[in-house]
Amino acid sequence: MRASVKDGVGVFTPQGFLDGNSAAALLSIEDIQATTKLNADMVLVSLKKVVFFNRNGLDTFVKMFAKVRESKNVTVGFCDYDLKKYKAILNFYRGDVNFSLFASQDIAHLFAPSFNNKNLNVLLYSEDKSQRSAMAIELHDGGHNPIITQTEEEFIAKQNAENAYDVIIENTYLGQMGQNVSARVTGNAIIYTVTSFLDAEIGNMFNIAYHNNSLNVGFRLFIFDAYKVVSMNVHALNFFSRLASSAAEYNATICFVGMTFEKTPITFKENMEDSGIMFFDQMENILGDKEILNELGASSAAAVQNKRAINKVTVTELPSFIDATVATIEMMTNSRAVKETAQIHAIKIEDHQDKIASSIGFYGDIDGMVILIFPKDIAKKACQLLIGEETDDLDLILDTLAELVNIVGGKVKTLLSNHKVNVNITLPRTYPDIDSLLEIAQDRKGVQVDLSFDNDKFLFFLTR
Amino acid sequence: MKFNTKKWLLLITNEKINTFIDKIPPAPQALRATISLLNSGELVKASQIAQTDLALKSYLKNIVNKPVYGFKTEVSEVSQIFGILGVSSSQQTVYNYMMTLLSPKKWELFHLRESTFNELQAKLSRKWKQILQHLNIDDMDIESAITLLPASIIVAEALFAEKKDDVALLRSVNDLDFNTILSRLCGVDLFDICEKISIKWEMPKKIAHIVQASSGCKPSEDEELNTLGKWMHLLLFYELSQPVFIEASLNDFIEFQLDYVADIYEDFAKLMEIS
Repeated sequence: MRASVKDGVGVFTPQGFLDGNSAAALLSIEDIQATTKLNADMVLVSLKKVVFFNRNGLDTFVKMFAKVRESKNVTVGFCDYDLKKYKAILNFYRGDVNFSLFASQDIAHLFAPSFNNKNLNVLLYSEDKSQRSAMAIELHDGGHNPIITQTEEEFIAKQNAENAYDVIIENTYLGQMGQNVSARVTGNAIIYTVTSFLDAEIGNMFNIAYHNNSLNVGFRLFIFDAYKVVSMNVHALNFFSRLASSAAEYNATICFVGMTFEKTPITFKENMEDSGIMFFDQMENILGDKEILNELGASSAAAVQNKRAINKVTVTELPSFIDATVATIEMMTNSRAVKETAQIHAIKIEDHQDKIASSIGFYGDIDGMVILIFPKDIAKKACQLLIGEETDDLDLILDTLAELVNIVGGKVKTLLSNHKVNVNITLPRTYPDIDSLLEIAQDRKGVQVDLSFDNDKFLFFLTR
Repeated sequence: MKFNTKKWLLLITNEKINTFIDKIPPAPQALRATISLLNSGELVKASQIAQTDLALKSYLKNIVNKPVYGFKTEVSEVSQIFGILGVSSSQQTVYNYMMTLLSPKKWELFHLRESTFNELQAKLSRKWKQILQHLNIDDMDIESAITLLPASIIVAEALFAEKKDDVALLRSVNDLDFNTILSRLCGVDLFDICEKISIKWEMPKKIAHIVQASSGCKPSEDEELNTLGKWMHLLLFYELSQPVFIEASLNDFIEFQLDYVADIYEDFAKLMEIS
């Protein structure tokens, strides 16, 4: 059994009866290895569809949690349970719960670094005082407003207040939380979360290939969420200075938010500022101010280094890219594609109205970016299989489009590996209109393929 | 630069479903005659007809001698088998055989072999009988209803096998089961196709109604049939939680509806001695 990954959270969903035998059959050694390689900040096992479990059944997953944490320091645990199941788990592992328990996936997402719906009013209660505090700190650091209740009576009274809270948390337990440098996308900025003591280890924890390719895809603003950083040494200082220099070549900006210099020499701050790194006290000072966002480059993309020509190696693999895209869109829309034209030039979009787009970068043996431009109606149709109903909610469509482009990326990866070309893929990026796409793509030369799905035009663009 | 979009088949289409249904052969004459005689309680005559179908005879012998039936000595004659099973279970076993006529020679989507599929049929049948006894239900058609349930697995295999990699990719980002994918793309689900099979094979209507309810997605308005649907849904997932069927990738081929079975779970757990 494999986890499905959405918004940086990998979820296993076993069904039915979970005992030692069934859990062992559900989770092979290959499954565990694949989980350790997942690009996820959190790995959870949902108990939503489990009607019966025992300690042996959970143990198989708890062992998998340990292996995942050994190789990647991410948050692991169970989710989607009722009070009876919650009590049973705590009873099984009395005093030795080294994983997290989230009553629902929505609650788990609040604690995931990739969660981007911030500033929620969260009512929380736990019998354990230290748990109440731990949750409140995590939620606060994540940009939410936690409201802690000290007693069950107070909690019951408050949770009955209509519309007072966005989320209510109970029957939840925080085990060890992830400490990798996780990345999330907020609008057009990438936010990295760094914690505790920053030293030479930052070079290992930070995914430099991912960062470089995010630059290549067109991201221009990188924010380090440093609220939980205690101190930094000279090795980390050098690392960030080098990062700032390379970002400058792309006209990109690096910011630190929430970093205090109580235990770090203030001269480090000056050195970092000299390298071009900017400091802000609050995340809201950046994300909540459109003018500053524009100044910092979150909406523009002067791609100084990016005007790289599409090369022969990438063009040779074009059929794999087209096949992956066409197959995925055909699968999702249940309609056939017809290729109309294929030409090498800068991206040309005749009609900008009612179109949305998505892009995904790839890097490894070859590198580049695939851009897909959809008429809104095709995008809606393509997303219907994943959403389950028709919708006009643009945010939901864009969110689902990102999943779809992830499928395209996964298929590209598989098809290229059949040709012995190994690549990794970046997080997908979506664009609510063509103007925002052109900010990063209009000067790029690439292969443009016009396709038609049931007479609706669809555009594929492959560039570097 | 070369690429060919035509080589990509669509995931699933209504045409493909219709072709599958069209290709379902009518029930062979010997089987129809056997079932008809069993319906009239003519065990001896039924066994004489069944004896003429060598494949059926071999199936009956193979199934009845599985450990789940618990016979100490080998049973080999059809008349002996029907005699031991009785009218209801004989009819149920003949229907189970009919289902195997639809199953593929080689399973691609699910890691199944003929013997594993037969084992699933046998386990479901034995436990269904146990459930009906517990519920004090003595009805030949209801007893045979369980035989249509594994047809949903055969249908999923037939429709999705050639696109299994695409389905796996789709499921890597969104935890969709085969029933939901089919329903969202084509407006019919695996259980609707099972019903079509039952119509083609002239099975009693009650059988299709119970199996539709057992999908967990379409509760029956008839309270009795709906309760039976719940028991069947839970029984299916009880069996699909066995390691051999998990390894066959059957555990998540449809979605388990926990809420649907919540009110019968305690009773079921007691009957199956789950602790």
